Amino acid sequence: MNSMTMFERLFFQALRIRLVEECIIDLYPSDVIQSPVHLSIGQEAVAVGACHSLRHRDLMFCTYRSHAFYLAKGGSLNEMFAELYGKVTGCARGKAGSMHLAAPDVGLMGTSAVVASTIPHAVGAALAAKRLNKAQVVVGVFGDGATEEGVYHESLNFAALHGLPVIFLCENNGLAVHSSQKTRQHYDILGHAQSYGLPVYAISEGYDFVKVAETMSEVITHVRTIQGPAFVEIQTFRYKEHVGPGEDFSCGYRDVEDCQSWKQQDPLERFPDLVKAFRPIIMQEIDAAVHFAERSPFPSIEELLCDVV
Amino acid sequence: MLCNTAMPAPVSSEERIEVVSNTDMKVMSYRDALHWTMRDALRCNDAVVLMGQGVDDHKGIFGSTSGLVQEFGSERVMDTPLAEEGMTGVAIGAALNGLYPIQTHIRADFSLLAMNQIINLAAKYKYMFGGKFQVPMLIRMIVGRSWGQGAQHSQSLQSLFAHIPGLKVVMPSSSQTILDTYPMVIADYQGPVISFEHRLMYDLNFHVDSQSMNHGSDPFGSHLLRQGEDVTIVATSIMVLEAMRAADHLAKVADIHCDVIDLHCVSDPDWDLVMQSVEKTGRLVVADTSWREYGVCAEVCRVVAERNPGYLKQPVVSLSMQPSPCPTAKSLEDLFYPDLHQFVNAVAKLVLGHEAHEVQLPDTQSMVDVYKRFKGPF
Repeated sequence: MNSMTMFERLFFQALRIRLVEECIIDLYPSDVIQSPVHLSIGQEAVAVGACHSLRHRDLMFCTYRSHAFYLAKGGSLNEMFAELYGKVTGCARGKAGSMHLAAPDVGLMGTSAVVASTIPHAVGAALAAKRLNKAQVVVGVFGDGATEEGVYHESLNFAALHGLPVIFLCENNGLAVHSSQKTRQHYDILGHAQSYGLPVYAISEGYDFVKVAETMSEVITHVRTIQGPAFVEIQTFRYKEHVGPGEDFSCGYRDVEDCQSWKQQDPLERFPDLVKAFRPIIMQEIDAAVHFAERSPFPSIEELLCDVV
Repeated sequence: MLCNTAMPAPVSSEERIEVVSNTDMKVMSYRDALHWTMRDALRCNDAVVLMGQGVDDHKGIFGSTSGLVQEFGSERVMDTPLAEEGMTGVAIGAALNGLYPIQTHIRADFSLLAMNQIINLAAKYKYMFGGKFQVPMLIRMIVGRSWGQGAQHSQSLQSLFAHIPGLKVVMPSSSQTILDTYPMVIADYQGPVISFEHRLMYDLNFHVDSQSMNHGSDPFGSHLLRQGEDVTIVATSIMVLEAMRAADHLAKVADIHCDVIDLHCVSDPDWDLVMQSVEKTGRLVVADTSWREYGVCAEVCRVVAERNPGYLKQPVVSLSMQPSPCPTAKSLEDLFYPDLHQFVNAVAKLVLGHEAHEVQLPDTQSMVDVYKRFKGPF
C-alpha cells in the first residue's frame, strides 16, 4: 500500500466500498439482510475524499446513507456486516441495521434516518470541541434535501454565530427520494450558505476522489486553524434506487443517459485493470466479513431491554 | 461524585432563606432552589453549560439563572437563537462530545418545536447504537398557569415525553425535590432528563433540610409525604400541594386520613409504593397537572388494573384539567382547573361512599389565588 500513489490508495478505498455494496446487492434476495439499505454506489468518492485528511479523533455525523462514510472513516467491516445481518456482534449489537451505523472509536458519532437531524449534532460537538480545547474538526454530512429543513438553517446560523470548528458537507445527488432538486428548492445552496458568512467550496466532479480529497484537505486545515465553520457542496450521482438494491431508471423520474455520462467520468468504471488488480484482496476481506456475520449469534432476549436508559 | 457548595449559597433573594430553628431546616423558595442548583452545577463541573433563550437576561428565567452569566461568562451561560430543534440538537451533540448541557424552555409549550430531537434522537441515541453513546443532559420546561397564559403558554406535557422509552421525566413539587434531584442527575445520570417546573411554585417558600439533600437519595424516587388509612392520593407537581391541603382539611373536619404520594418521576414511578398504599386504603385518587386522557391518571389506573384491581374497594377518581385547550379569561380558567373545593369533595365522596356526605368543604377559591405571588404578565 505504501508504494501506491494517492490516486491508487483512494481508488482502492472507493472500490472497497463499492464491492461491499455490490456484495449486499448479491446477498439481498436471500433475505439474510432484513434492513432497508440506502446504497452509496456512485457516491463513494465523496466519502473517501472527505475522510482522507480527517483523523480518528475528528468527528463525523452522517445520514441513513452511510455505508461509505462508515467504511471511509475506518469502521469495522466485520461489525458492519454483522449489523446488517442483525447479529449481536454488529456495531450496534443488532439494534441499528443499515441506517444507524456508528463507530465512535474512529469518530463516526452517529447516523440518523430523519433527514437533517444530525446536522445540529455536528454543531454541538464542535461547540464542545471548542469549549474543551479538543483540537477536533467535526463534519456534518447531509444531502441536498436536508437544506430544506429548518434545523439546517438553525445549525448554520449557530455555527457561524459562535465560530465553531464544523464543516457542513452537502452531498448533493440532486434527488430527495424521487423528487428532483429543482422541484423542491427556490434558492441556491451555496449562495444561501454564504449569506451566513460561511466560506463555501464547490466541487462539481464528485466522482473525482483526488479532487475531493485535495479540496477537503484544504478545508479541514482551514477549519482546524481558524476554529471556525466552512461549507462544502459536492455534486454526486446515486446509481441505485433511493432504498433497496435495484436500479429504477425505468420509473421515469430520471434519465439513464445522465447516469451513463456520469459513469464515463467515474474512475471505478474507467479503470477496469485497477479494479481487477485490487478486487481479489478486497473480496478476501469481504468474504471474511460475511463469514463472520453468518457465524455470529443473533441477540438474545437480554438485549431487548438493554441500553434503553 | 457530588461536590455541592455549602448551603445556603448567596442566591437571587437571600432574604427568603432564614434559619427557622437550630436544626438544619431552612426556608427556601422554589426559585432559589433552582438558582442554587444551577449555580452549584456550574461551579462544580466545568463541563456544565446553561443554554436557553433568555438565560442571561435581566429576568433570568424568572430568577432561576439571574447573575450566572456575570459569574460564569457567556460561554457557559448562553443565550440562544429562537431555534428549539436546532438548539436541542446542539445540546445533544455537545453532550456526545463531553459537555453537560442544561437547556431551558421558558414555557413547556415551546419544546414541541424540539420534539424531533428529543424523541427521535436524544431518547434513542443510547439504544439505537447498541449502547455506544450516552446523552447526559437536563431539559428544564416551565409549565405556565394563570394571568391569561391561555392555550399555548400553559400546557403540562409530561405524558408525551413519559410515553417514550429512553427519557426520564421528573416534576419537582418543592424546593427539597429540586435540591434532591438536580445535583444528582447532573453529577451522576448519563441520559436525557426532562424536568417540568411549575411557574406557580416559583414564588413559594418551602422548608428544606440541607442535611438530607443529596445524600444518596434516588433522584427519580416517588415519595410518600403523608400517611393515612382511608384513601391514597397520587399527585404530581403543584397538585401535590393541593393534595396536602385537601388531606389537611379532611383530617381536621372529617377524620378522613390520606396517604399522599408525590409521584415525582412520572416516567418511572415507584409503583410498589403506589400499590402498597392502594392495598392499604382500597381507594385511589390521582391528581395531575395535565389532561387525564392518555396521561398520568390513565397510567396510574393502568398499573393498578394490571397489578391488582382487587385492591380497589371503589372506582378510581381522577382530578385534572378539563378536556379543552386552556382558556384565557379567568372565569373560564378557574373552571378549567380543579380547585380545592372539588378536590375535597371528590375525596369525601369516595371515602364516605355517597354524594350527601355532609363533610364541610372549603370555599370555592381559585387555586391561583392561593399560590400566585405575582401579577402578570408572564
